[in-house]
Amino acid sequence: MSTEKTYQFSPHAEARFKELETKFPQRSSLVIWALHLVQEDVGYIPRDAVDYVAQRVGVAPSWVAGVVSFYSMFHEEPIGKYNLNICYNASCYLMGSDKLEECVTRKLGIKPGETTPDGLFTYTRQAECLAACGKAPAIQVNEEYYEDLTPEKLEALIDELKKKG
Amino acid sequence: MAAPHEVRVILQDFGKPDSHTIGVYEAGGGYKALKKILVEEKDKWTPDAIIEEVKKSNLRGRGGAGFPTGLKWSFLPKGNDKPKYVVCNADESEPGTFKDRYLLEELPHGMIEGMIIAGLALNSNHGFIYLRGEFYLGWQRVEAAIKEAYAKGYLGENILGSGKTFHLATFRGAGAYICGEETALLESLEGKRGHPRLKPPFPAVKGLYGCPTTVNNVETFAAVPHIILKGGDWYAKLGVGDPKSGGTKLFSVSGHVKNPGVYEVPLGLPLKKLIYETCGGLREGRKLKAVVPGGSSTPILTADEAENATLDYEGMAKLGTMLGSGGLIVLDDSTDIVEFTYRIAYFYAHESCGQCTPCREGSRWVQDVLARVRAHDAQSEDVDTLLSFTENMGNGTTICPFADAVVMGVTPIVKKFRPEFEAYLQRTEAVPSGT
Repeated sequence: MSTEKTYQFSPHAEARFKELETKFPQRSSLVIWALHLVQEDVGYIPRDAVDYVAQRVGVAPSWVAGVVSFYSMFHEEPIGKYNLNICYNASCYLMGSDKLEECVTRKLGIKPGETTPDGLFTYTRQAECLAACGKAPAIQVNEEYYEDLTPEKLEALIDELKKKG
Repeated sequence: MAAPHEVRVILQDFGKPDSHTIGVYEAGGGYKALKKILVEEKDKWTPDAIIEEVKKSNLRGRGGAGFPTGLKWSFLPKGNDKPKYVVCNADESEPGTFKDRYLLEELPHGMIEGMIIAGLALNSNHGFIYLRGEFYLGWQRVEAAIKEAYAKGYLGENILGSGKTFHLATFRGAGAYICGEETALLESLEGKRGHPRLKPPFPAVKGLYGCPTTVNNVETFAAVPHIILKGGDWYAKLGVGDPKSGGTKLFSVSGHVKNPGVYEVPLGLPLKKLIYETCGGLREGRKLKAVVPGGSSTPILTADEAENATLDYEGMAKLGTMLGSGGLIVLDDSTDIVEFTYRIAYFYAHESCGQCTPCREGSRWVQDVLARVRAHDAQSEDVDTLLSFTENMGNGTTICPFADAVVMGVTPIVKKFRPEFEAYLQRTEAVPSGT
């Protein structure tokens, strides 16, 4: 028997999961919700969490693994503390999103899909439109939207996040 | 303040402080439609009467397909052998579209009241709101609004003492454009990969958990309380174009206009009035090059075509395009159309669910060919190759319309602006075209 600690819900996630169990007539609906809870807990979906979610919901681990790999918001590996999602789509392109991409690469030395060595920032090229086209160009950092951006504003934001650590 | 040509029905509280809270919604007449149905005129408002009123309004699906809402509801079986579900499609992700995000964040109660009314029309006790995972603020606002509605007795058991029950729960997606397709959304809501289902059976017969289900867009639900309150005829007459397109529509306007944003205007408004009057026109010294009228999956209009376009379902069909989601992308003459097209193709290649070969392979090929054009590494016959994909990708070769969306989004741009694609083949470095 391995003595390595395996993933289980934090008390907060546990309480949320119990509440969600009352809201869906069929348990399989809880797969994606449970994965959101895992990612809120630890920032990505560790392999043992896949088994854990499968067991808690009552579906096969392969079902859960298939879901994790399908949805782009679920990360199979740890990512940076701040995930800089820069919209690459049509309207943000028209409004100068390329300058934001250049800014991140210049300032942080990372390309799409990469994380800074200190683990603070990941730069993600966001293929799916963020639905922020009216205030393009836009990025999403973790849950927050930042809109009407310029390279100057983005630099200031990165500096602020660095300070926060 | 409303902009020129705006007629604010759904957006009546837009911009007011705390517009997302129940107090503001009620002060503007919110939940009055529900009271009318369940209390004041309870004998009149049978499920069939609600559906008839919605049919009269000529409300059509605001997510993009434009299917008549009342008709869609009438397809659900009347019996109660199985539970029925009301599902809200809040997975807004059609490029160029951002109206639902505003509704979810700023005006969630209109959608909620519309869903409760749909529940009454369809004898359903359960509704689910499927929000795209990125909409975290929207999700928080919707959750808070649901709690307020429960506290006021608009949701739950015995709504307003009527003996009727309707429960509402939220679900967060996790980053997949395809989940906006209603059967992929249902798969996702059942906790699976978002693979569209073969139709028939349609969700009206076999939807969520194999039970009769209606899936409607946020904006569609948000229009319903107004239709009940003021009448289907009133709503239908708000349209100023073809009578088959009733009411107002939210347009998400982005790109090269002075005042991009979400605007609610009557269906049938000339497109140029929206661009030049509602949105303040183009940036100084620029000329119109093209308009994508209804999200990236709708065929592009050249400046000449846009000149006489009418913003309703029929007006767009006349020009071989669609009103779609109302996601209007305005391109001025500074636009590099090749790069613009590549961005759309990149998106589709990333978002194909991979279930059907013509789409999975085709969307990648479209991206690859455009990548070569963009890198000045293509031959002139590559442009023909790009156009030849059209016949093989869409046209019913796949389970869902995603492949058709790729074709409709990309092919008309290449056809209408072919010289600019050809010019790229001879160039050695990228320069903005249209000069």
